Amino acid sequence: MGKVKIKNLKKNFGDLEVLKDINLEVKEREVICIIGASGSGKSTLLRCINALEDASSGTIEVDGNDITRADGNINKYRQDIGMVFQQFNLFPHMTVLKNISFAPVALKLKTKEEAEETALKLLRSVDLEEKANVYPEQLSGGQQQRVAIARALAMNPDVMLFDEPTSALDPEMVGEVLNVMKQLAKDGMTMIVVTHEMGFAREVADRVIFIDEGFIVEEGPPSEIFGNPKNQRTINFLNKVL
Amino acid sequence: MSIPALIVQYWPRLLAGLALTVEITIISLILAGILGMVFGLLSVSKRKGLRAIALVYVDIVRGTPLLVQAFFIYFGIPAALGIQSDPVVSGVITLSLNAGGYLAEIVRGGIESISRGQMEAARSLGLPYGMAMRSVILPQAIRTMTPALINQCIITLKDTSLLSVIGVTELTQTGRLIIANNYQSFEVWAIVAVMYFIIIMILSKISKRIERKMSYGKSKN
Repeated sequence: MGKVKIKNLKKNFGDLEVLKDINLEVKEREVICIIGASGSGKSTLLRCINALEDASSGTIEVDGNDITRADGNINKYRQDIGMVFQQFNLFPHMTVLKNISFAPVALKLKTKEEAEETALKLLRSVDLEEKANVYPEQLSGGQQQRVAIARALAMNPDVMLFDEPTSALDPEMVGEVLNVMKQLAKDGMTMIVVTHEMGFAREVADRVIFIDEGFIVEEGPPSEIFGNPKNQRTINFLNKVL
Repeated sequence: MSIPALIVQYWPRLLAGLALTVEITIISLILAGILGMVFGLLSVSKRKGLRAIALVYVDIVRGTPLLVQAFFIYFGIPAALGIQSDPVVSGVITLSLNAGGYLAEIVRGGIESISRGQMEAARSLGLPYGMAMRSVILPQAIRTMTPALINQCIITLKDTSLLSVIGVTELTQTGRLIIANNYQSFEVWAIVAVMYFIIIMILSKISKRIERKMSYGKSKN
């Protein structure tokens, strides 16, 4: 049973066709890494999955719910889809603890005490327990991104989407964020990761998807994509980045 | 008569004028705040129709002089409807609508100054638009808006003096009436000017303090 089922997804920005015909099924506990050049449509694909971008046509089912026809239910559906952004997007006017506990409390899913307890537990899991009461601006990029992951996890999502989570980080901080993501994958989270970290994709992904010009050009286990790519465009791309 | 003697003699009237000035300012700013918030939110709406409504309002306010707005509301509309109008009520309506337009622009600018990622992050957690706006965007926007808001408060306070032309006996009109009695133009306008100045200085000082309190993060830890 697929956790995420994308059928014939198309997305246009005006006259520009960014996604031309995407078909993709992600199984529960599967870790998918999406690779491709800038402007290939990989981030747009990710953003369509939680309707931050509206699909132009096609369907996207997450857990059986069609995101593209969510109407009034989109807020409900989004609660089960965690998202981590390139720019972290922590709320600067809230402490780290509040960043994580705010949404579950505001949406009345948890009491303040329960949400804070969960938040502390999550902070412990990303090794930032001592930062609970500071504001995001006092954290390094890597720390902020780990808090952002904890914030998404606080909603107890079924799927986690990562939109180039390490691209805005200084090189020495990439590792700490990837380690958190590796642990998450090990714990069985269903993950879709748009990334430029080929090492991570090779090590953690169950399946790697190469997107180019709005199409899925090639997909397969990392050993195949990195070890024996078949499509010439995949080969060209990998030659450039590896 | 010397300035001190003038102050002593006309103090009750000057004070009453100042009180009305402050009263009209406060009431107008409260109403303008509501208008500004509503139209400011409309102007960042995804719906074109709502944005158009806000745009028309702001353009009318900015595209016409305050004095013409006051005349239109005090003389024009009552004449067309055949009703009696009250100068203070007309004055408050004028200033509210006027400041509301400028505040709407300040609110729009404040909201737009917050990175799009903030709204996206809030929505991605499942927060509805209104809740995300209220708890995530506006608290941040208000911080960036504060200097402009304070500026608008001071402008509106000074704009009350224009209401003297429709016969509101606020501070400026009080000055005119006193001069009509004693012809001491220099002294009386000096007194009136100093009274405005003092009130505005007090306002600026308070607002500086508010601004400082609102800077977050480091100061709280």
